[in-house]
Amino acid sequence: MKLPSVDIVVVGAGAAGGIVAEQLALGGLRVVLLERGRWQKFSETRHDELRSQRTTVLGNAFGPDDEHHVRLAQMPDGSFQKVLPSEGSYNNIAACVGGGTFSYGAMAWRYMERDFRMRSVYGAPEGSSLEDWPLTYQDLEPFYTKAEWEIGVSGRAGANPFESPRQKPYPMPPLPFNLEAGVLAAAAKRIGWHSFPIPMAINSVPYQGRPACIFCPHCVGFACEVNAKNSTAVTTIPRAIATKRCELRTGCVASRIVMDAGSKASGIEYFQDDKLYEQPCRAVVVSCSATESPRLLFNSATKLFPRGLGNNNDWVGRNLQGHAYSGASGIFEKDLFDGLGPAARVACCDFNHGLPNGLKGGAMIANEFICLPYLYSRTVPPQVPRWGIQHKRFVRENYTRTVGVKGPVQEMPVFESRVELAPDLKDHWGIPSLRISGHRHSHDIEVGKFIATKCEEWLKEAGAVSTWKSVAGRGLSGGQHQAGTCRMGSDPKISVVDRSCRIHDLDNVYVVDGSVHVNNGGFNPSLTIQAIAYWASAHMVKELRRGLTDIVIRVTI
Amino acid sequence: MSKLFTVNRREFLVAAAIPLYAAGPLQTFSRDEARLVEALCDQVIPADDLPGAKQAGVLYYIDRQLAGPLRRFQAAYHDGLSKLRDACQSRTGRDFVDLPFPDQTKFLQDVEAGRIEKLDSFWRLVIDHTMQGFYGSPAHGGNRDEVSWDMLGIRDVMEGHTH
Repeated sequence: MKLPSVDIVVVGAGAAGGIVAEQLALGGLRVVLLERGRWQKFSETRHDELRSQRTTVLGNAFGPDDEHHVRLAQMPDGSFQKVLPSEGSYNNIAACVGGGTFSYGAMAWRYMERDFRMRSVYGAPEGSSLEDWPLTYQDLEPFYTKAEWEIGVSGRAGANPFESPRQKPYPMPPLPFNLEAGVLAAAAKRIGWHSFPIPMAINSVPYQGRPACIFCPHCVGFACEVNAKNSTAVTTIPRAIATKRCELRTGCVASRIVMDAGSKASGIEYFQDDKLYEQPCRAVVVSCSATESPRLLFNSATKLFPRGLGNNNDWVGRNLQGHAYSGASGIFEKDLFDGLGPAARVACCDFNHGLPNGLKGGAMIANEFICLPYLYSRTVPPQVPRWGIQHKRFVRENYTRTVGVKGPVQEMPVFESRVELAPDLKDHWGIPSLRISGHRHSHDIEVGKFIATKCEEWLKEAGAVSTWKSVAGRGLSGGQHQAGTCRMGSDPKISVVDRSCRIHDLDNVYVVDGSVHVNNGGFNPSLTIQAIAYWASAHMVKELRRGLTDIVIRVTI
Repeated sequence: MSKLFTVNRREFLVAAAIPLYAAGPLQTFSRDEARLVEALCDQVIPADDLPGAKQAGVLYYIDRQLAGPLRRFQAAYHDGLSKLRDACQSRTGRDFVDLPFPDQTKFLQDVEAGRIEKLDSFWRLVIDHTMQGFYGSPAHGGNRDEVSWDMLGIRDVMEGHTH
């Protein structure tokens, strides 16, 4: 069924799409925001570890579900296997209004100046497609600020001496330290490191009409019961709808961007309740995540773009990256568990750059979110048996005495790590599914080892009586932090979108999400995704309002 | 007065006749399979001075989830349980459930070490599901009376009673 035309269709109501829809609607454009998931309420999932985004053992509470979606994933032996969304190798990101931000941990980091100039600073290691961004930190800075104020971030400006310059402080003070953060902060000071409170998109005081955090232990992986966690579902999307120029349609699975005979999109085809609709529009914004955005581009192939939109040079779906999380855990003599969420409260950026031995990039290191009992039982140190009375005793004696510290190690992009269409595999709607393959660069493992050693050093200084390290393996990481698959660049031969996030070869199709990241920094990526969403929106509003004027003039004449 | 007493007494007797661990009829396992699963869970998290997986009703967690979100593992259980039963018979000449606890442990250590062919991945699955049932939310059939949260001293925290 063909629907009446609108100005813009934004596909995906997540971290980025929720912002783009709001900004374009505020800019006077008529927007349809499509989301394959639905609005969710806290009461549906509550505080259930087995249904949290961290474990997903009883299915993806925040979508996508196991019944309608499937992918092929490469196994360590190189073969491909069918995997469901709740399985780790699917590399899932949530599908609901708010996307990943509805249940995220909400760390709200800015990348650093050097993260935008990685190739210039370090040179690409062999086997990596490491590159500079086509924009600088300074270009993005006003939009980081905008994201911090519009979404709502709590933190202490100036507390992190390694942070790149900022023009404005945070809109809220930081959340208070919990017991373990206090102990770790004192230890960092003794060894000359520079710890500070983690900036979080969580209200430390009432903000924008929503209350402050109540410090419940069920934070990362859960919906917030008081809406103190600043997802786009409780910030920008309601504001977009309030303009009356943005219509959010949930349960809508985009199958194809409809193209004219040339390089112009004329609309979107999507399924709602198994019925096919065509929504005509003047421009399309693809904000489906670094795995699903490439999929939509592949599935929209035309004669002119036989390998998928924007893919004539084979860069769509390439350079899939996340973070090579590495760190350490330590057992203390006394209980440090106070049950106060989100628990991740203290960080150091002493190892984001400037590492020894020619190591490139690095990671912010921070104490962990509360590790709930099931996950704890699966992460005991290597010398403890996996089951039996000794395992039970270990968990019993140490659960409230264990502290974890780790960091999102910056990955060196690998061209061969990718998503592409799976041969002969379709989802419930008959839309070709993805297959996902590749591996991390060996350099990431070296940096991971270094970071794990530093985490261990921090824990020992803080008084841990025994410690153990965990270092990322070579397996691909494209889950919650997925990025890189529609790289932003000025040379169309080696990138997919330009610096305004428009696909090089196309007139009116934009990709705005983690896909455009040239690299993913040594930080959780959501605030950068959102800063880019504000940045790209500003360009789009200018561009598309001009188009609007043309139309008005034409009609008038 | 006497009528009221009778009703209450009958209710009491009905309640008392249900074994402590019964959480309703089994949905996935036969009775024989259930006995074996319960013995395996008991090995993963045995009782000491505090309850183990058996007392926490982990069998019912696994049984119920295999009929729901974990149904993709149903075949692995039916197949794994029958292979494990046969392997134990041929090794020890006895049913796994009839072996003394330490002999069961020894047998499963051999399974874990890969010394008993093709059962280690099934055993890993049972371990994982037992941990879920014991440490996860009681809403899914395991962790009865929040015994694991009590053991860790975090019942109040998990129930959200800290504030």
